[in-house]
Amino acid sequence: MASIKLYFAVYVALLILAVTKVIFIEFFEYWTAVGAILVSAFTKSALIAYYFQHLREEPRAISWLVLISLAAVLLLAAAATYSIT
Amino acid sequence: MAEHSFPPRSSVKRWLVTTNHKDIGILYIVSSLFFFIFGGILALLIRTQLWTSGEFILSGSAFGQAVTAHGLVMVFFFLSPFAFGFANYIVPLQIGADDLAFPRLNALSYWLYFFAGMVFIVSFLQGGTIEAGWTLYAPLNLPAFMPSPGATTAILALLMFVGSVTASTINFIVTIHTHKADGLSLWHLPMFTWSILLTVWMMLIAFAALAAALLILGADHIFGAQYFTATEGGGLLWAHLFWFFGHPEVYIVFFPALGVMLETYQTFTGRRLIGRKWVILAMILVTLQSFLVWMHHMFLTTINLEIKTLMMAMTIGISLPFDLIVFAMIYTLLKGRIRYTTPFLFNFGALLLFILGGITGVFLGAIVLDYEFRGTYWVVAHFHYVMFAGGTALIGGLYYWWPKITGKMYNEFLGKLHFGIYFIGFNLLYFSMFLSWEMPRRVFTYHTGLETYNQMATIGGIILGASFLIMFYNLYTSYLSGPDAPDNPWEYSRTAEWATSSPPPLENFEGVPTYRNGFLEFEDRNAVADGGHVEHGHEPGRHPDHASWWPVTISFAGFLMLIGLAGLGEHFAYELLFIGGAAFVLLSAIGWGLEDFYAPEPLRGAKWPFDGVHKNKFGMWVFLASDIVIFGAFIGAYVFIRWGYGWEAWQNVPAESLPGLVNTFVLLTSSFTVILALVYAQRGNRRGVIAGLLATIGFAFTFMLIKSWEWNFLLPEAETLPEAVTMLVTLDFDVLFHTEGPAIDASIMHSTYYVTTGLHAIHVLIGVVALGYLAWRAWAHNAYIDGNERPVENVGLYWHFVDIAWVFLFPLFYII
Ligand code: HEM
Ligand SMILES: [Cu+2]
Repeated sequence: MASIKLYFAVYVALLILAVTKVIFIEFFEYWTAVGAILVSAFTKSALIAYYFQHLREEPRAISWLVLISLAAVLLLAAAATYSIT
Repeated sequence: MAEHSFPPRSSVKRWLVTTNHKDIGILYIVSSLFFFIFGGILALLIRTQLWTSGEFILSGSAFGQAVTAHGLVMVFFFLSPFAFGFANYIVPLQIGADDLAFPRLNALSYWLYFFAGMVFIVSFLQGGTIEAGWTLYAPLNLPAFMPSPGATTAILALLMFVGSVTASTINFIVTIHTHKADGLSLWHLPMFTWSILLTVWMMLIAFAALAAALLILGADHIFGAQYFTATEGGGLLWAHLFWFFGHPEVYIVFFPALGVMLETYQTFTGRRLIGRKWVILAMILVTLQSFLVWMHHMFLTTINLEIKTLMMAMTIGISLPFDLIVFAMIYTLLKGRIRYTTPFLFNFGALLLFILGGITGVFLGAIVLDYEFRGTYWVVAHFHYVMFAGGTALIGGLYYWWPKITGKMYNEFLGKLHFGIYFIGFNLLYFSMFLSWEMPRRVFTYHTGLETYNQMATIGGIILGASFLIMFYNLYTSYLSGPDAPDNPWEYSRTAEWATSSPPPLENFEGVPTYRNGFLEFEDRNAVADGGHVEHGHEPGRHPDHASWWPVTISFAGFLMLIGLAGLGEHFAYELLFIGGAAFVLLSAIGWGLEDFYAPEPLRGAKWPFDGVHKNKFGMWVFLASDIVIFGAFIGAYVFIRWGYGWEAWQNVPAESLPGLVNTFVLLTSSFTVILALVYAQRGNRRGVIAGLLATIGFAFTFMLIKSWEWNFLLPEAETLPEAVTMLVTLDFDVLFHTEGPAIDASIMHSTYYVTTGLHAIHVLIGVVALGYLAWRAWAHNAYIDGNERPVENVGLYWHFVDIAWVFLFPLFYII
């Protein structure tokens, strides 16, 4: 189990990443900003899952469980949206 | 409740409170057979109407309701629960477990299912139930076409059923992965358990998608959201969400039956399944592929040709592993020496029916042919041949396991007679539907030239229905006065349920099953308990609990709440029912939390690849995986609709992003405080735990306050924050959701915003209840600082997930 210091560092990183989203949309061209914001959101989620939900300490199969359901629903969203383009 | 107060099976109370997997299995089987009769009567009504080509006994609307309810009842309330009755009874025996991982949750699954069925029955009494076909296609599924509250009630019944399924899914995934006997690896699991394992993995993803679809549909019905009326592809959105669930669903109902077939073929031929490893691999492949073909149900919609072609190819792809499975079965039958018992006959018949159904499915999978067949009785015949082939195998399963469950033998002659009449009736009924393939389905009249085929089908239906009178008579007399069954009435059966008495004792086996030496042996219970490594949570000398009142209580409360919810705005009584029911749900959930229910994890066993994860944490992760799909499907729906609308033409509802950003900070901070609570729990610091939890609750309320201020800010009707809060608290839905201003139905943009952030807000509120419960226990009982900090950890996992969801909602609804 990690120290409070590490958790605090992660927390600060999360706050900074949150602000970046607002900044990206101001300064980048729209679709670049969208991409950057998504990268930032996935990074944040990964930090939360890896440290706060301590996936790093669990058997890898738990991470697979999460990734499988994520992949399934991304497939649904992407294929459905593609089907109407 | 202690063991000595566990009532006997002759007592009604036993059946209300039991959490034992065998009792629950029996409850499932009996209830599902009740729904089978109910759905069967609806079917006979349909067939009677179709006796002549013109008007007869049912109006168009009554026919529509009968068709819809027949489909929903058979698929949801009969087939799957019937299969899960066997799964409940047999799987723990086959893997050598005492019970499921979460016995109380299992009872909750059953009662949610039971009361979901009751909610569905109530929907008939409210001016008519839903009338859109079991696929509930939009926009027919909307209030514009079915204004009576019955349609809404039916949707909520399905939602409650999904709740039941989710609880079962978590339970079976955790049980099969972590409660296997020592030395029993995944490869060596019996085929029926394999089929259930793969079924629940499909259910995990598929039913979460259905949950999302139904939640959105419920929002359309109750709060006036505009998703499925949206001209930006609302109808297509429903089709995608439904069939992303619906295609895997057809395997979800079929796989358990496949498991029964594989089991009985081995028992009644005396042969081990030929190519067993390949069959398992093929089944795993089908499980994955089942999520890649859903648009073959959408060949006649406006989705693009590229994706249709891809789905056609994938559909051909999925029939390949099925071919392998079918050939392995045929080969096993050819190689073995068959004994034609009743269970075998039903399972063999199932194979024949399934082959015909499969071949006709391949026709449908070709885009060009589907242009002709779509929406006709060809489709109806196809899916009855495949799905009811599954039903046929399960009926075989009922005969197969009957001696184990009741301890009595049935009459073989009557069993065979049942099969013979059943099989004739079945083919007369459904083959006639192939012959009348030009007939459009779900219509109560038809072209006069087709009367002969329809009358053949009706006669077949009557024969089919009548054959069950023989079955019920046979089982009834067997139960009352049949000869006693030995432990193993079938020579050559090789699975563990036959290695204990018929019926088995409460804890299944006298000794502890182990496969350490490669075959089934039993060890002395006490020796194992003493010699094994005593894990935390085991209380030596304490007996596991087998009874709780809370599952039935919570489910009944949910029943009241949902009936109330369906009629909100109809009548004051509904509002009272809703508020009272909701309070009742909350109180009984707290009662559940406070009950000290003891269900130990086995001390050792084969757990790969989930070694070392406590069952509660594992269960929480499985739940979160399904929640990922729910949120993901909501977000997917938003992306889809926005794409259809024109991505950049879309306007975000919140006028500014600052409140959302502040709320992001608030939630991130709450994630940090909840982890602090866990750290302090590990350090045994009581005040730290309480402070961490209270801070988290404080941030949750801050989040909700900002949220409701924002909703108020967006809604001109409420001028001030207190006013908005009052509206929320008094459930002034009319003002809140049906206004001239930018309310939920103002535009599709408003609908998506309110519904998605609303789902998130409900998650926050549930979190607050859980956190409050923890804080209270930490304060009043000094809980969690004695080395058992697991509840803090598990609620924390949930809370972090709520945070992650917001990480995506904020940019999607405020910034981009
Ligand atoms: C070789 C395997 C199969 C293929 C290629 C196949 C293909 C198809 C296709 C393309 C459709 C859509 C037809 C239409 O609406 O126009 C369909 C419908 C259906 N199939 Fe299959 N199928 C197969 C096996 C199964 C199995 C094993 C089951 C269930 C146990 C099943 C259950 C259904 C159901 C329930 C529908 C109708 C849904 C509705 O109400 O519209 N199919 N099948
Ligand atoms: Cu399909």
